[in-house]
Amino acid sequence: MHPGRRNLCAFVLLAVAAAFFIVPPAAAHAVLLESNPPLKSAVSGPDVPIKLRFNVRIDALRSRLTLIRPDGSAQPLELNKQTPPDTLSGEATGLAAGAYRLRWQVLASDGHITRGEIPFTVTSP
Amino acid sequence: MARLLQVFGFLSVLFRGATLTFQSLAIGGIVFLIFVVRRANEDSSALEQACLRWIRRSAIALAVMQISYVLANSMILRQSAGMSLREVAGANFVLAGLVGIVSAFTVIALTAARRSTGYADLLLPAAAIIASSVMTSHSMARLDYRAPLVAFTALHQAATAAWLGGLPYLLIAVRRAPAPDFARRLSARFSQLALVSVAVLASAGLLLSFAYVGSFKAIYGTSYGAMVATKVLLFGLLLFLGALNFQLVRRGPASSILASLKRFGEAEIGIGITVILTAASLTSLPPAADLTHDRVTGPEIFARMSPRSPRFASPSVQELPEEIYAAQKKAFESGSLSTESYVPGQTGTRPNTPAEKAWSEYNHHWAGIVVLAMGLLALVAQAGQISWARNWPLAFFGLSAFLFLRSDPETWPLGPVGFWATLADPEVLLHRFFALLVIALAVFEWRVQTGRVASGRARLVFPVLVAVSGALLLTHSHSLGNLKEEVLAELSHIPLAILAVTLGWSRWLELRLPSENQTRNAMARLWPICLVLIGVVLLNYREM
Repeated sequence: MHPGRRNLCAFVLLAVAAAFFIVPPAAAHAVLLESNPPLKSAVSGPDVPIKLRFNVRIDALRSRLTLIRPDGSAQPLELNKQTPPDTLSGEATGLAAGAYRLRWQVLASDGHITRGEIPFTVTSP
Repeated sequence: MARLLQVFGFLSVLFRGATLTFQSLAIGGIVFLIFVVRRANEDSSALEQACLRWIRRSAIALAVMQISYVLANSMILRQSAGMSLREVAGANFVLAGLVGIVSAFTVIALTAARRSTGYADLLLPAAAIIASSVMTSHSMARLDYRAPLVAFTALHQAATAAWLGGLPYLLIAVRRAPAPDFARRLSARFSQLALVSVAVLASAGLLLSFAYVGSFKAIYGTSYGAMVATKVLLFGLLLFLGALNFQLVRRGPASSILASLKRFGEAEIGIGITVILTAASLTSLPPAADLTHDRVTGPEIFARMSPRSPRFASPSVQELPEEIYAAQKKAFESGSLSTESYVPGQTGTRPNTPAEKAWSEYNHHWAGIVVLAMGLLALVAQAGQISWARNWPLAFFGLSAFLFLRSDPETWPLGPVGFWATLADPEVLLHRFFALLVIALAVFEWRVQTGRVASGRARLVFPVLVAVSGALLLTHSHSLGNLKEEVLAELSHIPLAILAVTLGWSRWLELRLPSENQTRNAMARLWPICLVLIGVVLLNYREM
C-alpha cells in the first residue's frame, strides 16, 4: 500500500477507535410524565397503589418494577395487565412506615431501555 | 455488571449510527443503479458490476451492524431485567432487527446472482430495510398520529438514502465512466434524482419536526430541538455544495468538471455521514414536544453565552472533590444525585461543584487562547508575510501537554491516583488518548504546512481528524432528559462541532480541488477563519 494511504487508513481507524471511547450511552428516552406515588412524596400505608405514565408506548411484558425497602432489600412487583399503552401499574402491599424507592425499567416500543427511581416515604395509616 | 452494561450502552449507540449509514449506502446504491445507471441507455455493464459490488459490501456491513445491535440491546435487556432469551426474543427491536438482517442477506444474494434483466427486484428488500429501521424509530412509540408519523419517517429515510447514499455511487460512476460525456449525463440524472429526494426529505422532515419539536421555543430550549436545528444547518451546507455541483454539471465543459465534481462529492459524503450520525443521536433523545418542564429560556442562554472576560485563575486541586466516585456516593446520599431517569450502566447524574466548573472553564479558556493563536497564525501564514507563522501546528504540542495535565486533576501528576491505576478508568484513558491524538495532529499538519509533505494522502489527516471530531461531538449527547445545565452544555458544544465540520471539509476541498476551480481559494480562506472562531467560542465557554 502507498505510504500516504497507509497513514490515512491508520488514522481513520484511530478515529473510529476514539468513537468507541467518546460516545456515551444513549440518553434516556422514555420520560416519566407522572407517577403514583409522586417523586419524594409521603403516602399512607400499608398498601400503596402504583401507577407510572410515560411519554411513549411501553412494552409492559418486558418492563420491570422493583421496590427497594428501607433495609435495602429488593422486592419485584407484579405488574397489572397493561391497559393504556403508556402506563405501568401494580400494587405494593403491607408496607411499614419508612423510606422506600420504587425502581422502574421500561422497554419502549422503539427498542430503547430506560430506568429510573422514585424515592417516597410511607407513613403509618 | 455496571461496567458491562456501560460498554454495551456505548456499542448500541454506535451500532445504531452505523446501521443508518450502511442502510443509506445499500439503498442509495440500489436506487442509483435502477434510476440513474440503467436509464442512461448505454453499455454500462462494468459500472453496474462496480455498483453491485459496493451495494453488496454495504449490505454485508448492514447485516453485521444489525446483528450486533440486536445482540447488544438483547444483552442489556437480559442483564438489566433478568429476562430469559425467550422473553427477549419477542421484543419489537428483535423482530425489527430480524427483518433488517433477512433483507440485507436478500440484497447480498440478489447482487451476487448473475442476471440479464433489470434490478427492480432489489427494491423489495430495500423497502423492507427501511421498514425495519422505522420499527425502531420514534414514530413507532408515539401515542398520537402513529400511522402518519411512521409514513413520514419512512419517506424521510428513503429520500435520505437515495440522495446521500447515492453520492458515493456517483463518484464511482464518474471515475469509471468510459467517456466524460457519459459521466456528465449520469451526473445530470443524479442531480434530478437528488432534487426530488431533497424535496421529499425536507417536506417529511418539516412535518416530523412539527410533531417532535412542537414549538419555536423548544428549538433552543431542549437538546432535541437544538440537534434538529444543527441537522438543518448541516443540510443547508450540503445543499450549498449540491448547488455548486449542479452549476458545474449544467455549465462547465465535460472534461474540466469531473475533477471538481469528485471533490465536492467527497465533501458531501463526509457531511452527509455527519448528518446521519446526528440523526442517530436524535433517535436516542426524547422528543422536545414531550419535555415541557425545565426548558432553557432565551434570557438564560443570553446570560450564559454573553461575552465575559476569560478565567485565568484556576481553583487549586485541593478545592476539587477528592475522588469522583466518592463525590457521586455523597451526592446520592444527600439526594442531589438525579436518578429519576437514566439508561442501564449509568448511576445517575451529579451536579458539578463550583470549583469543578471553574476548573473546566479555565481549561477551555486556555485551550481557546492556543486555538485562537493557531488560527491567527494560519491566516498570517496564508498571507505569506511572515514565514515562521507556517509552524503554527506546533502549538498543538502545548495543547496536548495542557490536556494531559489538566483533564483529570485527581490522577497523576496533579492528583493522588497513580498513573497506571488511571488506565483502568475509560474516561481518563479517553483523555490520555486525546492528548496523543493532538500530538499526531501537530506532527502531520506541521509537516504539511512547512512543505515536508507536498503530496499524498498524509495531507488529509488533519482535515479528516478535525471533521471526524466535529461529527463525534454531535453524537456526544449530554442530555438525560431536560436538565437545564445539560441543555446549556449541548448548546455550547454545537457551534464547536459545526465549525469543526466546516473547517475539516473546507481544508479538504482546498487540498483536493483542481487549482483552476475558483471555489478552492474561498475554501483556503474559510478554514483558518473557522479555527479562529473555534478559539473565540472556547474563550467564551461557561458552565456557570
